[in-house]
Amino acid sequence: MTADHTTTDPSIQATGGSDGAGSEAIRFEGVTKRFGATVAVDDLNLTIRRGEFFSLLGPSGCGKTTTLRMVAGFEQPTEGSVYLEGEPVDEVPPYSRNVNTVFQSYALFEHLDVERNVAFGLKRRKVPGDEIRSRVADALELVQLTGRERAKPRQLSGGQMQRVALARALVNRPAVLLLDEPLGALDLKLRKQMQVELKEIQREVGITFLYVTHDQEEALAMSDRIAVMDEGAVQQFGPPEEIYESPQKPFVAGFIGVSNLLPATVEGAAVRLKTGQLFTPPLPEGCEEGASVFCSVRPEKIFLDDLEDGMVSVEGEIVERIYLGTTTQVIVQLAPDVRVVALEQNTARSRADDRWEIGMRVRLGWHPEHALVLR
Amino acid sequence: MSAPGWAARLPLARRRAERRRRRGFDQPRFLRAFFLLFVLWTFAPLLVVALFSFNSTPSLQNFEGFSLQWYDEFFSSVTLRESLVASIEIGFVTMIVGTVLGTTLAFALVRARSRIAQASNVLMLVPLVTPEIVAGVSALVLFTQIGMDLSLLTIMIAEITFSISFVTVIVRARLATMNREVEEAALDLGATRMQTVRLVVLPALWPAIIASALLIFALSFDDFVIAFFTTGESPTPLPVQIYSSIRFGVRPTINAIGTLMLVISFLIVALAVALPRLLGRRGEQNVLIGGEAP
Repeated sequence: MTADHTTTDPSIQATGGSDGAGSEAIRFEGVTKRFGATVAVDDLNLTIRRGEFFSLLGPSGCGKTTTLRMVAGFEQPTEGSVYLEGEPVDEVPPYSRNVNTVFQSYALFEHLDVERNVAFGLKRRKVPGDEIRSRVADALELVQLTGRERAKPRQLSGGQMQRVALARALVNRPAVLLLDEPLGALDLKLRKQMQVELKEIQREVGITFLYVTHDQEEALAMSDRIAVMDEGAVQQFGPPEEIYESPQKPFVAGFIGVSNLLPATVEGAAVRLKTGQLFTPPLPEGCEEGASVFCSVRPEKIFLDDLEDGMVSVEGEIVERIYLGTTTQVIVQLAPDVRVVALEQNTARSRADDRWEIGMRVRLGWHPEHALVLR
Repeated sequence: MSAPGWAARLPLARRRAERRRRRGFDQPRFLRAFFLLFVLWTFAPLLVVALFSFNSTPSLQNFEGFSLQWYDEFFSSVTLRESLVASIEIGFVTMIVGTVLGTTLAFALVRARSRIAQASNVLMLVPLVTPEIVAGVSALVLFTQIGMDLSLLTIMIAEITFSISFVTVIVRARLATMNREVEEAALDLGATRMQTVRLVVLPALWPAIIASALLIFALSFDDFVIAFFTTGESPTPLPVQIYSSIRFGVRPTINAIGTLMLVISFLIVALAVALPRLLGRRGEQNVLIGGEAP
């Protein structure tokens, strides 16, 4: 589910802490975008490195698409500046920016065939005819559409249209490729397949991808780094495993994957759950005595009944059991308003849906280090 | 399996019911009859006019032989010929000016998100529902008020005013279904705003523009009411000329003129239907006749 380990990824390793102008693809400096009274993007500061697959992840209305559109030039920041390869682009119209966009609706030109769609950008740039032909052929080969040059968009399937849209943008070799929920309209199976292909294509062409999605699984699977956005601001950013394993805010923990957020209060170096148990998870800096916090525990880190030594242990009643194929989701009520989701693997030896019945009382537990304290 | 084979095995009553059911749904003969009646009702009078335009005698009751004399009479009359030319001029000028203005207006209405645009959307319908006689009289009053001499120009102005709404309504419908992202994609790929309109927007709108252009040509070419109120002394448009000539008795030339106008109008509408297809946009929804969905 998670990408390669961070240190093996050259694009991240190479640029380490220092961001020289040569290594940055996009930089947002204090970018705010207001539509009337609504703040779509709120004081955004973010640097996207050259060659990385960067995702903006968040629920609809979080400002991720507006952010993308400001890079494309369709929207102007109300305050602050967007820099493309070190240069401010506030005064540059969309047609002069060295970026290309893959739209959610594909936005293909219906009256042009596949080849002319892909050649559109090169023709506007007055690239010689021979070069256009060979570059279009290469781009179509890259997206596996060789042979469909003469087809009109309406003769293509959704997945094929998506590939044309991708080829049409990539053929221009932009500094940054902007993708606005490009897989949103595809069915699940095709989406999974395209995720892999997109990632492979990105590695092959080495172009910086700025990818907007609300699908956390998609972002985790494809990205080198992710910025989780909510209410116009970046809540957290980092490589996928960091976002998933160490969410720093309740919103991030709740949005990425399923997370159990248990209300608790700080007592010395430990926390006391609302249900009474006292245990010692890794406490973040600056937790004050008696402060209200949340303990976030991933469902797959929760044990049912067969607890190990040193685990935090609580008791509750099973209220729901959902069979998901490889796993079964068991929902346990701990207190009137505290529920916990546990994921049980369905292995050859034991099937969780045989073992657990609704109404059963169970003990559940987790290792203290698997609980994240969030303020 | 053949139908009589299994039908024979059913009890008689069920077989009858079955036959009734199949006739009702699978072979709607009454629909066919309705359609034939409709065709007869619509085209029979036209066919009579066309037939008698070739009559060798002035009789409007008996067809007594084929001749082209009424066409000859029509073309040898300077007044009538001038009237035909005048009507064609009115049609063309109205078509070009009305289409340009109507299309521009459609853009403004779809793209401007102001309240005025909202109100204008309703206002657009007013010319469509205004009785033509009111439009004609009000145009006449306006022209006399501002002291403009009635001529072909005044007819054209009145017809253009009347036609803009047709173009706007048709083009706006097409424009409204266009995805804004398509235009953004063109900008994104390096096309300026003008290039975007030329290369992406207009190609998508052509079927609607052509259809509405030919429609308003057909409407203004043979319009009587507005033309009657706004026409000058000479030349008068053909429909007005016909009207004034039948006050002195109906001559079979009328049949020839009617047939000619009919042919011109039909050709124009046929062109409106066929042109979008000829331009290679097969499957494009045809604006005038509804057409098949893509």
